[in-house]
Amino acid sequence: MTRPITSVSTAAEDYRADLAALEVSFARNGDGAACLRRRTSLVDTLVTGLWSRLGGDTRPIALVATGGYGRRELFPYSDIDLMFLCADGRVESAARELIRNVSQALWDSGLRASTTTRSVRECDRFSVENFEFSLSLLDRRLLGGDAAPFGLLQEKVLPAVIAREAETIQRLLQKSLYDRYARFGGTIFHLEPNVKDAPGGLRDHHTAQWCTALTKIRETKAWPLSGDLSPDPEIQAAVEFMTATRCFLHLRAHRDDNILSWHAQDEASAKSVGLDSGGTADPAYWMRTYYRHARTISRSVAPLLEQPPAPRPFFARRRRKITLEGTPFVLADGRIDLEDEQLTIDPESMLRAFAETAEQGSRLTVRAESAISDALPVLNLHLPEGPFLRAGLQRILLGRHAAQALRTMHTLGVLEMLVPEFHGIDALVIRDSYHRYTVDEHTFLTIENVHALRDSALDWERRFSGLLDEIDRLELLLLALLLHDTGKASRSGDHTTQSVELAEAVLDRLELEAEEREIVLELVRDHLAMSAALRRDIFDPETLRALAEKVATPMRLRMLCLMTYADVRAVNPEALTPWKAENLWQLFIATSNWMDRNVDEERYHASVDPAVLRRVTALVPDRKEQLERFMEGLPQRYVQTRLPEQIRAHLDMSSRLGQQPAQLSLRKTRHLFELVLIAKDRPMLFADIAGTLSALGMNIVKAEAFANDAGVVVDSFLFADSFGTLELNPSEFGRFTQKVMDAVTKRTSVDGLMRARRHLHSLPVKMRVETRISFDDTASSASTVMQVVAQDGPGLLRTIASVIATLGCDIRVALIDTEGELAVDVFYLTESKRPLDDGLKGRLADELTAAIQTLRPAAALAR
Amino acid sequence: MQKIEAIIQPSRLDAVKEALIEIGVEGMTILEARGHGRQKGHTEFYRGREYTVDLLPKVKLELVVHDEAAEKVIQAILTTARTGHIGDGKIFVSRIDEAIRIRNDERGDTAL
Repeated sequence: MTRPITSVSTAAEDYRADLAALEVSFARNGDGAACLRRRTSLVDTLVTGLWSRLGGDTRPIALVATGGYGRRELFPYSDIDLMFLCADGRVESAARELIRNVSQALWDSGLRASTTTRSVRECDRFSVENFEFSLSLLDRRLLGGDAAPFGLLQEKVLPAVIAREAETIQRLLQKSLYDRYARFGGTIFHLEPNVKDAPGGLRDHHTAQWCTALTKIRETKAWPLSGDLSPDPEIQAAVEFMTATRCFLHLRAHRDDNILSWHAQDEASAKSVGLDSGGTADPAYWMRTYYRHARTISRSVAPLLEQPPAPRPFFARRRRKITLEGTPFVLADGRIDLEDEQLTIDPESMLRAFAETAEQGSRLTVRAESAISDALPVLNLHLPEGPFLRAGLQRILLGRHAAQALRTMHTLGVLEMLVPEFHGIDALVIRDSYHRYTVDEHTFLTIENVHALRDSALDWERRFSGLLDEIDRLELLLLALLLHDTGKASRSGDHTTQSVELAEAVLDRLELEAEEREIVLELVRDHLAMSAALRRDIFDPETLRALAEKVATPMRLRMLCLMTYADVRAVNPEALTPWKAENLWQLFIATSNWMDRNVDEERYHASVDPAVLRRVTALVPDRKEQLERFMEGLPQRYVQTRLPEQIRAHLDMSSRLGQQPAQLSLRKTRHLFELVLIAKDRPMLFADIAGTLSALGMNIVKAEAFANDAGVVVDSFLFADSFGTLELNPSEFGRFTQKVMDAVTKRTSVDGLMRARRHLHSLPVKMRVETRISFDDTASSASTVMQVVAQDGPGLLRTIASVIATLGCDIRVALIDTEGELAVDVFYLTESKRPLDDGLKGRLADELTAAIQTLRPAAALAR
Repeated sequence: MQKIEAIIQPSRLDAVKEALIEIGVEGMTILEARGHGRQKGHTEFYRGREYTVDLLPKVKLELVVHDEAAEKVIQAILTTARTGHIGDGKIFVSRIDEAIRIRNDERGDTAL
């Protein structure tokens, strides 16, 4: 090993020449492991040569390589960790001059040497602050000098330290891993990753190896044999790829550079670094290979990243395993395992296991993951589609840990099996100056960002988190997020168009209802609309008008706002600054208010916009004139928020008004019931329906009242069946609609019905809402906009509508919205077909305030 | 050398940047800012809550240019940032004594 060194300068020259030869050798064979061995050998020669030359051999000091150098894994430009191990403190004091000279000579030779001097006794001390030192001794190797201190360290001191502190070292190691992952956003999918420190990098592999070694030592009280630490072939292949890549980066930059920049990716792929194929590879293919290997390495430390299981309640402690009903999976110690390897996995069981991951954050064991991977070919033959798949995906998407479940599904190939359209963005690198992650990881992060809003810590985040509760079909937003960037796989043209096309195929298979399908497709199509609007003047009414027209409904605006929030935040950790978030929020509320205040102004006229008319006419080709009369003068919001089939149904109802003075339709949506009334307008009509629904125990969640130029009203009420009357008794449908019809046609006294429900008015409230009434005369040229914010409760809408009618005001448009106990009702009012004067507004405000107060006595509010 | 600080509407940033690049400006610093001058804020309500916007979103550009280029830069900003409405922003010009390139200690005009 040792060769005579005549001078430090000649040793340095020799070392540099050897390093140049190593570079040539690596360029020729691309063998990373051989490169590490060769550089280790070069450094060994230099270090031991200088040690002898400067007189080290005569001292009772052992020259010990630690860390990567100790493992014989020295990358071409890595630092070297060297320990001068002295027999005792006196030797250490006497050797100071020698050690200084050796250290200086190493630096003069071009080596970046991190040297440390310890007595054997000092190695026995363990420090939490410097646990890395004890850890580095796991990879010790005697280079030269006196073997006696090393023998003492090896045989006595180190085994005692490790046996005593292994658990603490493992805990600290786990913490440093956790911190490192947090520093890199917890993902392997960086566009320009660090092959050493990033998740999935070589540091992960070493962490896994140290943990295995420490566990073996604790279990067997002996040093692990080299075979004990041999990784499985898949990990071994991944480590070889990473090793070759890191060697390439070092030799390319002639320094300790571990960043796989875009330029480096181009060069590495051109040279097929780490690949067996040779020749030139496509950069996208090469990077996918990188991510595949990084994923393999990262999975080897995944169990270490898990938080300790939460304390279990006493009644659960005896049952260590809980079977996931109807599946071959069990939940044991917070992990999902396979109960019996002989049991088969069907699609339902698999989706159930991932739903458990999404809802509880429980990870699958390696055995469970392998079983699912093995079952994929069979599962693929019995692939579920339609409502079954929709329900399974919905449950996963709505789970708080949905992103974690989706990542696992993606890793195992399950996501691509269920949604093949996702395959195109697997580990896809899109090079721009702002995205930090691959497209698939960006997608998962958007979903994670939405769920993370529930734990918002900052004020500006809480504003957005409030929107979560206002969205009644969150699963549609999450599905849109899952699909919003799938079009990026085409790498040409507008990716949103391609994403919409791919989303259409997915939605076809999921058999979504037409209305739901429309919402998802619109979200995918418009997912950049708010970002684009943010680049304009967000206080300009034209910006708001354009955005409002594009988005069409307040619900879609809320969804789009959250989608934009999640999308921008997933670009990189710094992308959504508080400044940008504030602008997004201002744009959202300004557009939302613009939508509510301009309904009366923006009315449909076939002569101006015949396109919608043509679309609906296609369904009723022989009734064009009738349709035109029906639609003329209806607010644009009605036209934009109804499907052509719904408009046709309303047209049919309006055409029957000659036979009956009012037409009603009642249908069940996924969570609520929808009642549509079409009738000739009359005073108190809106108030009577609201009162009847309330008297029948229905909780009105949303309502809209529109009228066309011919005075035909189209009122719709979305209500929750609080007592399950209709839900449990389908036969009640007929009786229910008859009661509403009786109220509409004044055959029944609505006040009489209401009196029977008075007792419910004293129900306690959970959140106190102050009544606030405001008027706006600028939003509409024909009417006054009145907004009432109040505590929701039975009879509220009836009360408000009654006061309005009693004071002689007409409701041109009503937009009713309820969230929990907060009611936000907007009315467009006229009196004698003109906006309200100040006196009338004052009376209206006073009487409304008094009437709302009587609904909730002070005693109820105090409770 | 002169330092030009321009506070402009965020919606005009892309146009201003393009105009500056077109006249040969190679470097600039852009900061997200909030503030107001004569253009006062306003109040919006959402679901019964009041949101006061008293500090409006702005973008601040900072450039240091040669004396002879300063007027050209100012004109480029004026032309592209102006919408004619209140709130278009302001430009501030000040003298710079020295510029130093950190990488190689170059000084003066050549460091720009």
